[in-house]
Amino acid sequence: MLASLRQDPYALETVWLSIITYDREVKQLMPLTQIGEFQLPNIVTPDSGPTHTGAALELLCSVVDKEVKLSSTEQKGDWMPLLFLMTDGKPSDIQLYNSMIPEVKKRHFASIVACAAGMHAQTDPLKQLTNQVFSLDTADSTTFKQFFKWVSDSIGIGNKSIGAVEDLVLPPPPEEVNIVI
Amino acid sequence: MKDVYFSPDKSYVVGFFREKQDANAKDRLQNITGIYRERIFNQEGGDYWKNLFCWPTKMVEWNGKIGIVCPTYPSHFFFSSGNFKGKEKEGKWFASAKLRNKFLPDSEKGTWLTHYHMCIQIARAVKRLHSAGLAHSDLSYKNVLVDPVLGKAAIIDIDGLVVPGKYPPDVVGTPDFIAPEVLETRSLPLTDPNKKLPSIATDRHALAVLIYMYLLYRHPLRGGKVHDLEPAKDEELTMGAKALFIEHPTDTSNRPKVDQLAPSELPQGDVNKLPYTITGPYLKTLFDKAFIDGLHNPSLRPTANEWEEALIKTTDLMQPCQNPSCPEHWFVFDNKMKPKCPFCGTEFHGVLPILNLYYSPKPGVFKPENYRLMVYDKQTLYMWHVNRFITPNEKTKEEDKKPVGDFHFYNGKWILINRRLNSLYDKDEDKKIEIGQFVELTEGRKILLSTEDGGRLIVVQLVTN
Repeated sequence: MLASLRQDPYALETVWLSIITYDREVKQLMPLTQIGEFQLPNIVTPDSGPTHTGAALELLCSVVDKEVKLSSTEQKGDWMPLLFLMTDGKPSDIQLYNSMIPEVKKRHFASIVACAAGMHAQTDPLKQLTNQVFSLDTADSTTFKQFFKWVSDSIGIGNKSIGAVEDLVLPPPPEEVNIVI
Repeated sequence: MKDVYFSPDKSYVVGFFREKQDANAKDRLQNITGIYRERIFNQEGGDYWKNLFCWPTKMVEWNGKIGIVCPTYPSHFFFSSGNFKGKEKEGKWFASAKLRNKFLPDSEKGTWLTHYHMCIQIARAVKRLHSAGLAHSDLSYKNVLVDPVLGKAAIIDIDGLVVPGKYPPDVVGTPDFIAPEVLETRSLPLTDPNKKLPSIATDRHALAVLIYMYLLYRHPLRGGKVHDLEPAKDEELTMGAKALFIEHPTDTSNRPKVDQLAPSELPQGDVNKLPYTITGPYLKTLFDKAFIDGLHNPSLRPTANEWEEALIKTTDLMQPCQNPSCPEHWFVFDNKMKPKCPFCGTEFHGVLPILNLYYSPKPGVFKPENYRLMVYDKQTLYMWHVNRFITPNEKTKEEDKKPVGDFHFYNGKWILINRRLNSLYDKDEDKKIEIGQFVELTEGRKILLSTEDGGRLIVVQLVTN
């Protein structure tokens, strides 16, 4: 995904990226960084353990408050951010997760896309967060490649032609990703 | 949205529409690949347009899907080396200061002169569409491939052509290029008579934005003014109802704030350092018409033909920068100020001839025509300088494309050598300059380029710096 965004002039000019990982621990691996300068850190995934999705959303909200620049009368702010949430399980901290959902919604993301990868991923909790939930049933590398291609296309969508009728239309997902609902 | 497949020999591609095409859309594609295409390509000089358009040649139907066949883009429209090898040269790469300064290899940047050549081709292609009564409807750097190295451009994605009154547009355009009136009325339903949709007038706005961006590497309407604290609303106003030229001479409220720009956006983002007037007097007039008078008044926008002519005339004002490591290599010199490159600050030292061109409305009378030719060493003279009835465009005859003379700084003197002119006269001495002979360019000298109808007279002016 990074490689393809780095070859896209629109993304290179405008996109900033931040990664938050969550398992037992919640970490912001990279603060919001321009695509051109983004160094992908090593992401280590534990074999088992809890999935603290709620805590991740909590960190997300504080990071958004801190790092996304708001408009002032003197200076233009950042565009509304996009949120892509990926999980292969279900929130272990379901109470916190549920209480964070309204908080996330208050942050005015332009779009929230949740992706459930692998057979253990549950889509129901994700549907509380957004109506754009995708499940990748066969989570192999090709599928992920296609998904990330779609994600990067979605990031670049602001620069594509706009339809004669209003509404931001995301490109259709690749074939192997099914929309649940 | 189309899925595109290469032909086995890679000479053409077939793009299948993902969405179902209704009868109206099919009819439009039928016409684009049929009658509209023939009107442009099957005429005298039709071949010229093959380089400027990637025009669909056929409509096909396969497994219930509609597709169009298009020629493959020439190889110079793809990066040949570096990080972006194999990617299309989308115009965006070359229209943004940040991308040029940080990511683009120098070998792909071309010179300022080749950027003018690119713009001439774009203006000419748009002119051709408009004169056929067609509007592109979605001109943007995404739909115009460019090659600044060779100074070439081609318009792609022609399947969205709008025919006023016949085929309504499917798109309102691409952000950065949508005309203010279209954005302003975007929320109105399609049936509302006040809704403004893409047309020839909105193409003219997009063309002006493209030219401004390819020459100055910044957007003419994206300045420092904040219209609304909500980014989406602010964007809508910036490009729509409240759109304001960043270099408006009297309303300075949208000037870019240099301290808010990233270092990679400079110096091009600083309108005080590189104001739009560096593009020369002819383009300045047109930018004023496009972004001041015509921004909210579509009928006042310059036509594609006006852009083409002004761009061509401006290339006659170009001087090579004497600094070999200048980022742009050329600059416009119109004798209003010192011959100094605005990009690297290098001054020209020495004597520069300026040729003021006069035309003859009737025998024996010569009038100025606001047309100048700035001379540099090893520059060439063409028939369109010699005769005012000849213009350099798609209709120029092969014979008229050949240089007819050249200028040199030779033994401390500026001279014009006659290569092909049959009636070149030094009027000061009333002496004919034969082919192979030269005439020296001295202050005030009058040189008649041709005695034929339309032949121009040159009055030489020398500037010393």
